[in-house]
Amino acid sequence: MKSKRAQEEMVGFALIIIIVSVILLVFLGFFLRNSNNVEIKSYEVESFIQSVLQTTSDCEDAGGFLSVQKLIFSCESLEECLNGKSACEILNSTLEKISEESWNVGEDTPIKSYELKILSENTEIFLLEEGNITKNYRGASQPFTRRGKDYEMSFNLYYD
Amino acid sequence: MVIKMKTTGGFSILRPNRKLKIILNKGGQMKIQQTAFMLIAVTLFFILAGLFVFVLRFSNIKEASRMIEEENAMLLVIKLANSPEFACGNSFGNSRTNCVDGDKIMMLKEHITDYSGFWGVAEIEIRKVYPDSESTLCTLGNYPDCGIIEIYSKNVNKLPASSNFVSLCWKQDSDMGVYAKCELARLMVSAEDKT
Repeated sequence: MKSKRAQEEMVGFALIIIIVSVILLVFLGFFLRNSNNVEIKSYEVESFIQSVLQTTSDCEDAGGFLSVQKLIFSCESLEECLNGKSACEILNSTLEKISEESWNVGEDTPIKSYELKILSENTEIFLLEEGNITKNYRGASQPFTRRGKDYEMSFNLYYD
Repeated sequence: MVIKMKTTGGFSILRPNRKLKIILNKGGQMKIQQTAFMLIAVTLFFILAGLFVFVLRFSNIKEASRMIEEENAMLLVIKLANSPEFACGNSFGNSRTNCVDGDKIMMLKEHITDYSGFWGVAEIEIRKVYPDSESTLCTLGNYPDCGIIEIYSKNVNKLPASSNFVSLCWKQDSDMGVYAKCELARLMVSAEDKT
């Protein structure tokens, strides 16, 4: 009888130890996870889009060299630049080069892929993707308008 | 006389009254002792766990100070592009965010001694990203055909830089007249490593 009671007490004590240990482990897990710094900051993505839209492109029209934002409008209207190239062609090469130079994408880097989208009245007019998409991402979007028409540029960075 | 007493373990048979009292006292004492030991053990456990967390958290105060310095640099880099010393304002037609006036920056660089200690960081520089990511330092002689505008740099140990994208703009001459040229750049701020 006595040994049975002692066994019950021991089981109770062991249970308490297990519960407290689990709580401690969960707490420790959160503590260590918080100290892990993610390389990519969301403000970087936001400022990236804003700066890209202001960047001067190689496309020149009668009014001078176009910014990327104006180049998007020209591309949608299927216009041509003074050098004979189509606005869409230059938009594509400009955004490709900008993204390539700005973000180091690869298997050995924190950034695994990126996705750049341009929408006009919620319809996709441009898409640029690089690398393999993962579950974690940081993204931002920048809306802008022209003659009552809504545009949006969004950029997502995928990381491990 | 036979007494049957119910205990937690079942029934036990006791004989004289005195013996019964002693045994009852002993049982109670045992229970109190068990509770006391349990309380002491649990308290000790929590104290040890607390000490473990305390040591883990405060063993690296230097690292914490480093992180605070880095965070300050990060906060500065977010707002610096839109500060009056850097921002384009309305110089290029309309008001723009994250736009840095290159001409203004070059003049600021020439008078940087007036700003010593103003931002409280070790280094501020702008690196062009697109279309040209050259590594040539900008001077009044080669600007804007250069890659890095070193605005301010203290001769101390520096922490890794915090950076933010900006649009670096200036007035450019062409056959069609003067126009606003903007390039994509990174504004970089490094804090001093005091560890």
